[in-house]
Order: sequence, then C-alpha cells, then structure tokens
Amino acid sequence: MTHFEIELEKLNNVIVKIGSLAESQVSESVKALLSEPIEGKEVKKIENKIDKLDVKIDEICQSIFALQQPVASDLRFIMGALQISNEIERIGDLAVSIIKRAKNIKDKHDLVSKFEIADLGRQVELITAKTNSYFLTRDEHTFAEIFSLNAAIKNKSEEAIQGIISEMKSHSKTVLSGTNLVIVIKHLERISDHCSNIAEHVYFIVYAKIIKHENPNTES
Amino acid sequence: MRDIKIQVNDLSLYYGEKKALKEISMQIPANKVTALIGPSGCGKSTFLRCINRMNDLIPSVKITGELLVEGIDIYDKNVDVVNIRKKIGMVFQKSNPFPKSIYENIAYGPRINGIKDKTQLDEIVETSLRQAAIWDELKDRLGDSALGLSGGQQQRLCIARTLAVSPDIILMDEPASALDPISTSKIEELVHELKEQYTIIIVTHNMQQAARTSDHTAFFYMGELIEMGKTNTIFTKPEKKQTEDYITGRFG
Repeated sequence: MTHFEIELEKLNNVIVKIGSLAESQVSESVKALLSEPIEGKEVKKIENKIDKLDVKIDEICQSIFALQQPVASDLRFIMGALQISNEIERIGDLAVSIIKRAKNIKDKHDLVSKFEIADLGRQVELITAKTNSYFLTRDEHTFAEIFSLNAAIKNKSEEAIQGIISEMKSHSKTVLSGTNLVIVIKHLERISDHCSNIAEHVYFIVYAKIIKHENPNTES
Repeated sequence: MRDIKIQVNDLSLYYGEKKALKEISMQIPANKVTALIGPSGCGKSTFLRCINRMNDLIPSVKITGELLVEGIDIYDKNVDVVNIRKKIGMVFQKSNPFPKSIYENIAYGPRINGIKDKTQLDEIVETSLRQAAIWDELKDRLGDSALGLSGGQQQRLCIARTLAVSPDIILMDEPASALDPISTSKIEELVHELKEQYTIIIVTHNMQQAARTSDHTAFFYMGELIEMGKTNTIFTKPEKKQTEDYITGRFG
C-alpha cells in the first residue's frame, strides 16, 4: 500500500465511523419518538463526535486535494466523501432535533399509534442502515432498496401528515402536539432524503455518473 | 521544530560578484523530507549543494554565514570535507551509475571505506537494494552491467548506492524529473519510506511532487528563502503572497 492509499483508507474509515454514529443517533431519535425520552447528555456527546468527524473529513480531503492531486476514481472518492460527510452531519442534526421535539408531543403514544409512525420510524432506521451498508459494499441491490424505501417513506409521511392535519382540524387541542409531530415526520422524511443523496454520491464514486437530479423521489 | 538536523544561519553565497543566496536561515528537521521549491535560478539547487560543500569545487564561489549539521559548522576550516560527504549522500537528476556491475556499484563505496569481507559486502548490497525497493527486480542479475538497467532502475540503484555507505542525510536534486510516471511514483514512495531512517532534502521543479513527498517545504525566489513551513500549510494556506502566487501558477 502506498502512503496515498493509506490516506484514502483512513478517510474511508472516518466515513464509516461517522456513518455508524449517525445511524445510532437516528435509532435514538426513533426510540425517543416511539417510547421514552432520551437522555440529552448522551445525544449531545454523539452530536459533538459527528461534528468533529465532519470537520476531520473536510481537513483530510483538503489535504489530499492539495498534496496528492487525486485523479479518476480517487478524485471521485474525495469529492464524494466531502458530500457524504455533509449529508451525514445533517442527518445527525435532524436526529437531535427529533429527540428534542419528541419531548414536546403530548399524547405522543396515541398519535404515534393512530398514524402508524412506528412503521415510518423503523423504515427510516432501515434506510439509514442500508445507506451505510451501500457505502461499504457498493452492492447494486442495496442501492435499489434505498430508493424504494425512500419512496415508501415519502408516501407514508404524506399520508400521516394529511391524517394529522385532519385530526387537528377536528380536535383543536391536538394542534400543538400535531404540529410538533408533523415537524418530526418532515425530519424523518428529510433523513431519508439525505440517505438517498448519499447513495447517489456513492453511485458517483463507483460509476462516475452524476444522478442527483435524475430521481424523481429526491428533493435535492 | 524538534530534532533539528541542519541549522542554517545567514548563509549567503556569491558566484564572483553575483549574490546567489541571500542570508538564508532555516532549520531542517531530522527524519523528515524537506522539499526546496522555486523557479529556475532561485537558488534552491545552489543551496542544496551547500549542504555537502559541493560548491567548493567552483573556484569563484564565496560563502558566508553558518551551516551546522548536528551542531557542527561544516564550513569550519578544521572540518574534513570527505567525512561530511560520507554522512551526506547525494542523488542527481540524471542517474549516473558506474560502468560496472550492479553489485560493484553498491559495493564500491563500502569497499573504499575499508570493508573487505565478502559476506559483509553481500549483506550491504542486499540491504541497500532492498531499502531502495529494487532488490526483487535485480537479485538474479547482480553481475549484469548497471548501464543495461532502465532509467527508473538506474535511479533507484543510485539511491541504493548512496544508502550503502550509511549516510545520515540524503540530498536529492530533481531525482525523478527524467523518469516516467510509474518510476517517479516508485521514487516518491521510496522517499517516503526512507525518511524513517534518513533526513532527506529534495529539490524539485515539480510542485506536485513536493506536495506529495515532503513534510516541510521551503520556497526560494531570487536567492531568498521566502517561506518555509509544513507542506500541508504551504499548499493550503501559505503566509506569503509570493508563495501563493508561485504554487497557484500566477507568478509574475
């Protein structure tokens, strides 16, 4: 292994690490939504770790660009790494926001069960795990799964939001909780979007093809 | 910087009336690669040649200031130049193997240093060629003429020849500029590996090579040392505008 390859390996490992931190942060956020409130301290600790790794990835990439002049697949990997770390950092922030907001949803369990939010939460956990797995394996089947999961999450989110709006129209006392829940659902949906963006970046790394505006299911 | 190998204080060099190096002061750390960069005629090669007193061979040269290697001023009149050059190996732009066998190229230096024992010489030849990452390619043809090797192999052979006399410091003057990209990357990787044992100073016109191979970079311009720092810093946020202009290709 040349010392440049060792640098690339190091970058790869940091991405795997930040990805797994985000995955556990998403699981915590789903737990906070479906069961009990999560201790803020632990969440903050993981958030700090994610932020530090995000900066570290920027620094490693800057250094590789400046010192190694990467080309071809190496160049794509560095470009992809920068974008992926950006998306992951956003996933981490959204998860934290869900954890905080979940505390403010009264009648949480009733609403969650009525609008099948548990399923949605599990799907978002799944897409996050699949995304990390796709980064590692570059498996085409996983790539396809990510996009169908993202589509399913969008549909489910839309349905749930429509249902919650109707609920709020007929029961005004649910407006506060309902609004918070809608925001949480939008966050979950956004996490799923970031996952499909990551899959697009990985696709670019592997196939040198930019597909980010080709999929009708992605917002960005 | 810890573990300073070479300390340069106000070093100036004149070719007759022309001042080619102007009050250079710098510290070169041990077991690191230091790259000297700058446009043609900036003084980087002249400076490199000061480190093993190669400029002594030019009659009109006058040098002032100090150049301390491990604390000893190599320009002190009591210093033995041959001893300095034993400790400081040099690799040139154009590979220059002796018109002898591969084995004899490596064994030559140790032999004139008094090593006669065949087993010991065999060991030195093998170790040096291994360190220069060329043993596997050459082990079965040690008796062949070195002149029959490719350019890249000849250059690695010359590096092995330098290593055979156990120097502390290796000076490299454009060691890969005449080589193809594959041989260049072999030399660059070699430089990276050798720094664990040696202090390496490399002059290169190729800025990307400086970036890839070195830990510290010194930028020379018109005989002056404009800026020296960690390579990562020089290539991402240099302090001086002249350095920025040079490395971004906006010079002049």
